[in-house]
Amino acid sequence: MKKRLSLLLVMALLLTGCSAGKPVERPKPQPTAEDLEKSSVYVESMDTFMTLTAYGTAREAALEEAEKEILRLNDLLSVGVETSEISQVNEKGSLTLSQDTAAMVEKSLELYQETDGAFDITVYPLMELWGFTTENYHVPTERELSDTLTKVGADRLSFDAAARTLTLDEGQAIDLGGIAKGFTSQRVMEEFQAAGVTSGIISLGGNVHCLGTKPDGSYYRVGIQKPGAVEGGIAAVVEVADAAVITSGGYERFFVDEESGLTYQHIVDPATGYPVDGDLLSVSIVSQDGMLADGLSTSLYIMGLEHAADYWRSHHDQFQAIFIDSNQKIYVTEGLKGMVTSDSDITVLSLSK
Amino acid sequence: MKASIRKNDILLIAGLLVVAGVLALVLTLSRRDGRMVVIRYGSEVRGQYALSETLIVPIENGQGGENILHIEKGVVWMEEANCPDKLCVQQGKIKYAGESIICLPNAVVVEISGNDELALDGVTN
Repeated sequence: MKKRLSLLLVMALLLTGCSAGKPVERPKPQPTAEDLEKSSVYVESMDTFMTLTAYGTAREAALEEAEKEILRLNDLLSVGVETSEISQVNEKGSLTLSQDTAAMVEKSLELYQETDGAFDITVYPLMELWGFTTENYHVPTERELSDTLTKVGADRLSFDAAARTLTLDEGQAIDLGGIAKGFTSQRVMEEFQAAGVTSGIISLGGNVHCLGTKPDGSYYRVGIQKPGAVEGGIAAVVEVADAAVITSGGYERFFVDEESGLTYQHIVDPATGYPVDGDLLSVSIVSQDGMLADGLSTSLYIMGLEHAADYWRSHHDQFQAIFIDSNQKIYVTEGLKGMVTSDSDITVLSLSK
Repeated sequence: MKASIRKNDILLIAGLLVVAGVLALVLTLSRRDGRMVVIRYGSEVRGQYALSETLIVPIENGQGGENILHIEKGVVWMEEANCPDKLCVQQGKIKYAGESIICLPNAVVVEISGNDELALDGVTN
C-alpha cells in the first residue's frame, strides 16, 4: 500500500514536472475552458491565402466580421479589381478617396519621406515593365527603363488630405500592395477587439499579426521562413504579443532571364529601376503598427543591411527587425534580444554602433 | 532489520526509476505522435495523417487539381503538382507544428497540427 502511494506521488511529480521551467507569463486571470477554445477560418483574397484564428466565446462572430472586412478592403484596393479605388485613380488620374484608402496613401507618403524614397507607391509602371504584374517577364532596355523611371516618384503625387483627393502626374500609376495587407491585418485586430476577442492571430499570406497574448498568457511563436528555402524550414522563431510580424524577401517571387541566366527578383528599387540585388535575403519587421511593418519590410530590404540597421537606430521606438543576409546569417535588433531562437547563431544589433 | 528496510528502499527506488523512465518515454513518443499532417481544401478537412508515418499521398481536388505529398520521418513536402506556378513544390520541407504548404491554384492546404511546446502559431514569409 505504502509502495503504491509513493508510486502515485512520483507519477504526480513527473506529470506536473513537464511544464516546469517553461517561461509562461500570467498577466491574465486563470483562463476558463471557453477562453482557450479557438476557431480558424481560411480566406482567399488579395491574391493570397489567409488564415484567421480567434480565441474565446466571441470568436465565431469576430471571425465572420473579419472575413467581411477583408473582402470589402480587397474590392476597395486591388489593382486587379476594375471598380477598386486604385484602378479608378489609375484610370482617371484623380479621385476623391474613401477614408481607408486615404489613410493608406497618407501613410505611404510619410514612409516615402522617411525612407528617402525606398518606399514608393508609384513604382507600379516599373513593375509592369519588368512583367511582375502579369508574369510575362521581360528584361527592359536602358531606354525603356529611363523612360519609365520618369513616371516614378511619390513626390509628384498631389494629395489633399483634408479633401482626400489624390491626383497623379502624367503617366503615373499607384499600387498600395506594399502596405495594404498591413492595413488589413490591423483592421482585423480592430474587428476582433470590437467583437470582444482578446486573443487571436492571423496570417495574410505570410503577413502575421497577433492580438494580445495567447489565452494562457504565453506569447505567440511566429516562425520566420528560411529564405530561398528549397530545403524548406524555419530560420528562426520570434515570440511576440500584440504585434505584426511582416517579412519581405526577393526569394518569394523571381524569374531567370533565359538569355543571360541572371535572376531578377520582384522587389524593384525605385531609385534605379532594377530589381534589388543587395546583401539581404529577407527582412522581418515586428511592430504594433501593421502598416508600418508592411511598408518598412520592403523598404529596409531595398536599403541593404548597413543602411537598414542605421534606419532602425534612428526609429527604434517604432519597430524591431530580423535580418537574414546572403550567407543566411541572422541579425536581430536589440529590442528582440531573448525573443528570437534559432538553430543558427544570432547576432544582436545594438543601438550604439 | 535495518538492512532489510534499506534493501526494500533500493528496490523501491529502482522500481520507481524504471517506471519514471517508461513514463518519460511514453510521454515523449505520444507527444510526437500527437502531431498530425492535415490536408484541407479551403476550410474543409480532407485527410489527416500522423507526422511520424512514411507515406505518399496523392491529392485530387475534384476540379483537375493534382498534388503529390510526401510524409517521411517527421518531414513533409510537396513532391509534384499540376498547378502553373509550382510554388508549393518550391517551398520545400516543413516539420514544425504550425507550418503549412499552400497550393493556391489547386486550393490545397497542408498543415502540421499539434500542441507541443515548439508548435508555431504562425509563419511569416
